[in-house]
Amino acid sequence: MAEATATGTTSEEWQPKIVMFCCNWCSYGGADSAGMGRFQQPPTVRVIRVMCSGRMDPVFILNAFLEGADGVIFSGCHIGDCHYVNGNYKATIKYKFLKAMVNELGLEDERLKLDWISASEGERYANVVTEFTEQIKKVGPSPLKPEGVV
Amino acid sequence: MDIGDCYVGWATDEDIRTRGASGGLVTAMLAAALEKGLVEAVVVLKKLGEFEAVPIVTSDPEEVKAAAGSMHSVPIVLSRYLEYGTKVALPAKPCDARATIEQAKRQQVDIDTTYIVGLNCGGTMHPAVTRKMLETVYKLDPEEIAGEEIDKGKLIFETKDGEEHAIKIDELEEEGYGRRESCQYCEINIPVMADLACGNWGVIGDLAGKGTFVEINTEKGIKILQNAIDAGAVEITPADDKGKAIRAKVDGAMMKVAAAADEKYLAPIEGSHLDYYMNALADCINCGACKAVCPVCACGEGAKCTEFSSASDTYKMSLFHLVRFVHLMDSCIGCGQCTDVCPVDISLTHIYQRFARPMQEEFEYKPGMDMTTPPFFGVDLLEEGQ
Ligand SMILES: Cc1cc2nc3c(=O)[nH]c(=O)nc-3n(C[C@H](O)[C@H](O)[C@H](O)COP(=O)(O)OP(=O)(O)OC[C@H]3O[C@@H](n4cnc5c(N)ncnc54)[C@H](O)[C@@H]3O)c2cc1C
Ligand code: SF4
Ligand code: SF4
Ligand code: SF4
Ligand code: FES
Repeated sequence: MAEATATGTTSEEWQPKIVMFCCNWCSYGGADSAGMGRFQQPPTVRVIRVMCSGRMDPVFILNAFLEGADGVIFSGCHIGDCHYVNGNYKATIKYKFLKAMVNELGLEDERLKLDWISASEGERYANVVTEFTEQIKKVGPSPLKPEGVV
Repeated sequence: MDIGDCYVGWATDEDIRTRGASGGLVTAMLAAALEKGLVEAVVVLKKLGEFEAVPIVTSDPEEVKAAAGSMHSVPIVLSRYLEYGTKVALPAKPCDARATIEQAKRQQVDIDTTYIVGLNCGGTMHPAVTRKMLETVYKLDPEEIAGEEIDKGKLIFETKDGEEHAIKIDELEEEGYGRRESCQYCEINIPVMADLACGNWGVIGDLAGKGTFVEINTEKGIKILQNAIDAGAVEITPADDKGKAIRAKVDGAMMKVAAAADEKYLAPIEGSHLDYYMNALADCINCGACKAVCPVCACGEGAKCTEFSSASDTYKMSLFHLVRFVHLMDSCIGCGQCTDVCPVDISLTHIYQRFARPMQEEFEYKPGMDMTTPPFFGVDLLEEGQ
């Protein structure tokens, strides 16, 4: 039914499912700040906390897509601020590989995003989530979504 | 003797020299390395028939001598038979040598105690395909074959009655026979990453057919060759410039042929990539053979690709394959082993290469060429960033 909803044939607008991996020290704090600051954001994101963006394993992201995520964001501290020295540099390299992989596989480039969000950037967090949600709405449901998952 | 020097050499033992593929130099060096204690073991192919051989790890020089000659229908990568900590030597096609180096980076092989005697390689053939080709194209009984040779672009089979049967390799490959598809686009013919690079290209004049061209690439290369000379097992003479030029020219021509095969097998996918890959993998029965055989993977049994996926998954694509596609982006050497063993004939090597090449090109990195680490770890972390 995902397609039917996406093309607007039912009354409710289709809401994408987005998985967002946040590092414990910055981005997860950013999510908290967004909530405390009451910044508006769409309810499309499921946040998963990892200790550091360097902990991100390609398996997590591939699994998210296979389970039905329409988009995946992974985020960590700004470059230079990682609490484990250079985890976010490692994340950058992994991201390069994953991007190339997702492109070759034929998933739309827009479905994967890397962003740095600090604990104090509540508003930025909300903006990232809002913009990404709009972006995914444009490309529609992921073709890797299993049958029966909306 | 210095790194970069080129010689033509041969076995002093007449029997080894005649049975050897060109001059028996490789066999004589490997046997002498054992006899003089330079190594404790040697990996060679034990011949079971014209199209069949098994890799063996032996300490018996006689077994090494019995293995003289090139087997073009045995596409096995030998690096998996090396054991860490053993002083060992192996004959190595470029893919054997590259896989050995990738394993050394992953602490599976100790590069300092491993002598890689490189063999030039223009390609190998799948044994089952070779048999079928003999029956349908050559109209010969595979059991009647007594020898095989590649000369001037022709694949020549000799039958037990002494007759020679030659067909152009180009024609065979047009029909889906001949060299394995991944060998057709393998662009490395001379094993520059091995300790020595041996072959018959560039052996001219009186020595043609009776000598092996050898280029010295490393200190270890000098050691294993000098050891054989000191043992009286081989003789060498400096290669002449004309021979060197011919070798370089043939190498260049073969590289062009390989680039053309890229276009044949790795042409851009038309239409949806996702449909293409889902179709390509649709028949997979999850046997795991492609992972087990891959010579650059050092994960062993509890690997990410197997532990996180299960036969009961109902995903549109298997996580097993997706994980392997990412993991091999920096290390797939295109050796063709995965395609060879797949029981449902999925062209896996082409797929892995499609994923690996863009990244390897972006990082200007070719796996297995030297001991520098893969781009994944090698990128200067503090200079990268966004
Ligand atoms: C598949 C193949 C393709 C080749 N293509 C070219 C070419 O295009 N141009 C060129 O100049 N030279 C090529 N060579 C190298 C050449 O045939 C000789 O191996 C080389 O000249 C050394 O000759 P030799 O008499 O000193 O070796 P030998 O004394 O005959 O020793 C050969 C050694 O190679 C091992 N061996 C045989 N078959 C294989 C195999 N399939 N994989 C791994 N090891 C093997 C044997 O166990 C033996 O130890 C090729 C070799 C192979 C195996
Ligand atoms: S992959 Fe390359 S080196 Fe290996 S057998 Fe084929 S042509 Fe030879
Ligand atoms: S993925 Fe296949 S072609 Fe690539 S290194 Fe492994 S076995 Fe060889
Ligand atoms: S060898 Fe073939 S069937 Fe077996 S797991 Fe690999 S792709 Fe699937
Ligand atoms: S702790 Fe936040 S990116 Fe490493």
